[in-house]
Amino acid sequence: MAGLELLSDQGYRVDGRRAGELRKIQARMGVFAQADGSAYIEQGNTKALAVVYGPHEIRGSRSRALPDRALVNCQYSSATFSTGERKRRPHGDRKSCEMGLQLRQTFEAAILTQLHPRSQIDIYVQVLQADGGTYAACVNAATLAVLDAGIPMRDFVCACSAGFVEGTALADLSHVEEAAGGPQLALALLPASGQIALLEMDARLHEDHLERVLEAAAQAARDVHTLLDHVVRQHVREASILLGD
Amino acid sequence: MLQKREKVLLLRTFQGRTLRIVREHYLRPSVPCNSALCPQPAACRNEGKLLSSDVTHYVIPDWKVVQDYLEILEFPELKGIIFMQTACQAVQHQRGRRQYNKLRNLLKDARHDCILFANEFQQHCYLPRERGESMEKWQTRSIYNAAVWYYHHCQDRMPIVMVTEDEEAIQQYGSETEGVFMISFKNYLDNFWPDLKAARELCDSILQSRQERENESQESHGKEYPEHLPLEVLEAGIKSGRYIQGILNVNKHRAQIEAFVRLQGASSKDSGLISDILIHGMKARNRSIHGDAVVVELLPKNEWKGRTAALCENDSDDKALGESPSEPMPTGRVVGILQKNWRDYVVTFPSKEEVQSQGKNAQKILVTPWDYRIPKIRISTQQAEALQVANTDFRVVVRIDSWESTSVYPNGHFVRVLGRIGDLEGEIATILVENSISVVPFSEAQMCEMPVNTPENPWKVSPEEEQVRKDLRKTHLVFSIDPKGCEDVDDTLSVRTLNNGNLELGVHIADVTHFVAPNSYIDVEARTRATTYYLADRRYDMLPSILSADLCSLLGGVDRYAVSVMWELDETSYEIKKVWYGRTIIRSAYKLFYEAAQELLDGNFSIVDDIPELKDLDEKSRQVKLEELVWAIGKLTDIARHIRAKRDRCGALELEGVEVRVQLDEKKNIHDLIPKQPLEVHETVAECMILANHWVAKKIWESFPHQALLRQHPSPHQEFFSELRECAKAKGFFIDTRSNKTLADSLDNANDPNDPIVNRLLRSMATQAMSNALYFSTGSCAEEEFHHYGLALDKYTHFTSPIRRYSDIVVHRLLMAAISKDKKIEIKENLLSNKDLEELCRHINNRNRAAQHSQKQSTELFQCMYFKDKDPETEERCITDGVIYSIRTNGVLVFIPRFGIKGAAYLKNKDGLVISCGPDSCSEWKPGSLQRFQNKIISTTTAGQSVTFHLFDHVTVRISVQALRCHSDTIRLEIISNKPYMIANTELFHQSSLLLKSELVKEVTRSMEEAQLAQEVKVNVIQEEYQEYCQTKGRSLYTLLEEIRDLALLDVSSNYRL
Repeated sequence: MAGLELLSDQGYRVDGRRAGELRKIQARMGVFAQADGSAYIEQGNTKALAVVYGPHEIRGSRSRALPDRALVNCQYSSATFSTGERKRRPHGDRKSCEMGLQLRQTFEAAILTQLHPRSQIDIYVQVLQADGGTYAACVNAATLAVLDAGIPMRDFVCACSAGFVEGTALADLSHVEEAAGGPQLALALLPASGQIALLEMDARLHEDHLERVLEAAAQAARDVHTLLDHVVRQHVREASILLGD
Repeated sequence: MLQKREKVLLLRTFQGRTLRIVREHYLRPSVPCNSALCPQPAACRNEGKLLSSDVTHYVIPDWKVVQDYLEILEFPELKGIIFMQTACQAVQHQRGRRQYNKLRNLLKDARHDCILFANEFQQHCYLPRERGESMEKWQTRSIYNAAVWYYHHCQDRMPIVMVTEDEEAIQQYGSETEGVFMISFKNYLDNFWPDLKAARELCDSILQSRQERENESQESHGKEYPEHLPLEVLEAGIKSGRYIQGILNVNKHRAQIEAFVRLQGASSKDSGLISDILIHGMKARNRSIHGDAVVVELLPKNEWKGRTAALCENDSDDKALGESPSEPMPTGRVVGILQKNWRDYVVTFPSKEEVQSQGKNAQKILVTPWDYRIPKIRISTQQAEALQVANTDFRVVVRIDSWESTSVYPNGHFVRVLGRIGDLEGEIATILVENSISVVPFSEAQMCEMPVNTPENPWKVSPEEEQVRKDLRKTHLVFSIDPKGCEDVDDTLSVRTLNNGNLELGVHIADVTHFVAPNSYIDVEARTRATTYYLADRRYDMLPSILSADLCSLLGGVDRYAVSVMWELDETSYEIKKVWYGRTIIRSAYKLFYEAAQELLDGNFSIVDDIPELKDLDEKSRQVKLEELVWAIGKLTDIARHIRAKRDRCGALELEGVEVRVQLDEKKNIHDLIPKQPLEVHETVAECMILANHWVAKKIWESFPHQALLRQHPSPHQEFFSELRECAKAKGFFIDTRSNKTLADSLDNANDPNDPIVNRLLRSMATQAMSNALYFSTGSCAEEEFHHYGLALDKYTHFTSPIRRYSDIVVHRLLMAAISKDKKIEIKENLLSNKDLEELCRHINNRNRAAQHSQKQSTELFQCMYFKDKDPETEERCITDGVIYSIRTNGVLVFIPRFGIKGAAYLKNKDGLVISCGPDSCSEWKPGSLQRFQNKIISTTTAGQSVTFHLFDHVTVRISVQALRCHSDTIRLEIISNKPYMIANTELFHQSSLLLKSELVKEVTRSMEEAQLAQEVKVNVIQEEYQEYCQTKGRSLYTLLEEIRDLALLDVSSNYRL
């Protein structure tokens, strides 16, 4: 049997998108009342929930406190039912630790941590359904949650993945496209300044193509920004109506 | 704008569990409909090829029809075909990659009026699969729904016919929508295309063979062959080194018994095997066919077999075999096939008598392929009887459908009739099909892209181009030297003295890429053809004649676009100081032919009257112009000699190809060979072209180190030279094959003053030992592999004949991109990536090989036809002189210099009698035995007489033709005397002695006259090649020379080294 054709001659991907098109994004802020900030995002079939506590005093050992800025603590977990096969994923396995560190790196770059010295900000992200681009979904959810918590940031952090198939860069890979084994790049961008908060790629990709793939990912991240911005404005409008201003 | 849907798939995992997979599926409001009738082309964003609006209806094949009858849909007569995405995906999933690629190529091909409609992504066309609905039903429903939508989309202006194999669907949907009809495929062909008999016959035969196959699988006979292993097992086996992957190569002369697997890629390194693997017998070959990529398992050592070295029935060719006959070699059996490379095969139906012996199983006929390497094919067809009667005298094309393990022969179906056996057109068509060459006339769409040049509307140099191109019309004396009457002049030369005293040498090549835009229809067509095909009596052009013979041809006295390479050379040492590449406008001042140029070079000015450009001038200006021209030609020759000498020092080889050209008279009957004098000018032009190619290769490689198209000629394997060394030893020469330099020198020294043919034969053996020169992409090869062994250059490419080679067009585009890169201009053209280029190179190499094979086969065809009407007993020409150049256990291989034929002559006939030569040296057959030694063979009769044949002995042979019904005719040779044939035609061979290269180096410094004398006895091939020109009209000598090299290199092709 012939393998899956990731990009047809007519320029369609397996799920009917064109090379640069994003999956459908839906998001809501303020889904939990107890937490300081929370958000839920759906990027296609990838669904993630983010919750933010803080800034608050350092919990646990006091020695972890940083004298000049806040400590950003990120934890990632994915639900047992998030993939096709039900599988127990204990806390602290390699994959989720790594993801936690990446998220931390991303948000340390975006949050104005020096405003809250000797304090801690907790970001918890849970993936409910994984269908490709989990890192991107986590970052986008966490951005909304941090905004919901009212923690000052430099800018939105918008993330998106991109891949490379037969000479074309594909934005926002789905699980099928990821599983095909081509190179995949994850990018977190501060859209206003165009600065990169995090860039990650594991596979080999020829240098000549990198620029194109990077540009595809950046464009996708900017598109994500437009959508998230819309969500935030909508949320603020609703909140202000409730407050009766 | 996009609508999100979800598709749920239930898959079974390897462990047998069911996995539920949810996939997103996005729908969009508009998908390109690619129809010329589209009411809102802007919304549909149609681009690329459009379905024409001037057909009577559009036809939409159901998935089943696409799967089973794709070859009928490939008929260019069928127009307005819409392939639905659903159907295409069904092909992809159920018919595999090969079939799917065929479909993709069909869609891309501009000549076919068919498009793909992505119905599953259109929001109104997409239908989710319902619960419990079978896949097949859903596919048909989707396609029907899309058909209805399409009909309404075109505002009900074009009736749509959906063809299906599903009777229920016809019942259900047949009359549901007005304007959308649903009928069966057979019905469709009968009603809509009653004139297209070929398609209907093809349809019947496909149907038939499918039914047969179904019946057969139910019957389940005893197995003839072991089953193939599943793909996973094969892949794992290859990885672990248990199995070996390679290409199956059947020995033409022992097709039933011997086949070899040439190792591919990494597997050869791992297993430590150098030689090919022998596959002995049909059983071990396990249903694989010549050319398939197979997986082989090695047999234990005690079952290894050796190859046979005896001559056998159809051993007409020679093979460069080094090993002794019985030495066992790795032997294996085929366990699986990775890729079936089946193509169309030309076959012959059995004659009536044979049919009767085949029994009364009337539905099936065993047909014999033209190619010996292909097994017989079983055709089952209802029209059997009719076909049988009608086709016994015809060559017929069939395709193989399957080869079940229960069947001795593969099953196939009838496709079309080619022509009568023995008829020239039929035989030529056979050669074309066998080499997978398809040459249809250029289509209208392609011709529309061509510029116009008519007397009313003449083509002119456009002012924009005048701006960007360097204008050489006023400054340079440009001229071309070509054979007489040449139409497609693709190279011109110029030389002049610069103000600073240096010389400027220019090579100006026709700017084909200006007229052929990348990915235009004509470009796609040229890419598929890849080269102009030259057969013995005709040619098939790569580009339409408006380009090849007119606008791209650098004719005399008209303005033409060119791509030029110009070198600044030192005045005396001819060292290259500077080089310039770019687009130019030139006006060739003279269109010289070789003889005229040579006469001018020799100082013989009487030829002037034959040069039309000088005819009408008055005496004085003519004198001035003439001097100018003579100076330029002289200078050019001088420069060329220098370059040649330099290359010779590095070890450039003088190769010998034993190709003979046939000369035809008007009635297409074969004339005689008229030897022509080879001229030094040939060499001069060729050398300039090699120089240009070399410099362009350097340039594009520097600019695009990973995606330049170059030509490599790998160093040969030393073991293939063993036969050459042995033969040379027999004559007392030593051939040093360690490097191209030593080989060239020792070949020069191996010269028997009494017999110039010895040297020719040695050279041709050396050529056979070498591998083919190939195009490749620089990104996929290490730099040390770039070099060209034969020309002794580190980098080489083809640049100078864009009119007849597609590789040159690619190189032109690369060079243009390299120039604009140098000027920091954005590269406009989309260059091919390394992967695409590699793919393209493989295609061009394949096509070149096909072109060479077809040329060789057509020449053989003509040779046979020449000797066919002659009675070998009486005709004087059939008895001629031959030279023994190889010795086998039951015969010798003989080369006939008079006709350039190589063939086998038996010393022991079928009755076991051996040859003996009486005192009058006439041969007779007598009982006796043969004794074979390294360099001689002794035939001893029971009466005690014995006769010895040494290597390089001259004998007299009689040429006759063996007529074969199923295959091409072959030449038979018979030794009738062990003495050389005594006749006055020996003067023909005097000139074939070769000029020694070391001499040539000295020659450079000597005077022109002396050089001339020496050059006159240059390679004999040139004259033969030149003959060829005389028939086909329109090839520059350089291209011919290049071809000699190619042909020379070709001789090593597969079957020789088996």
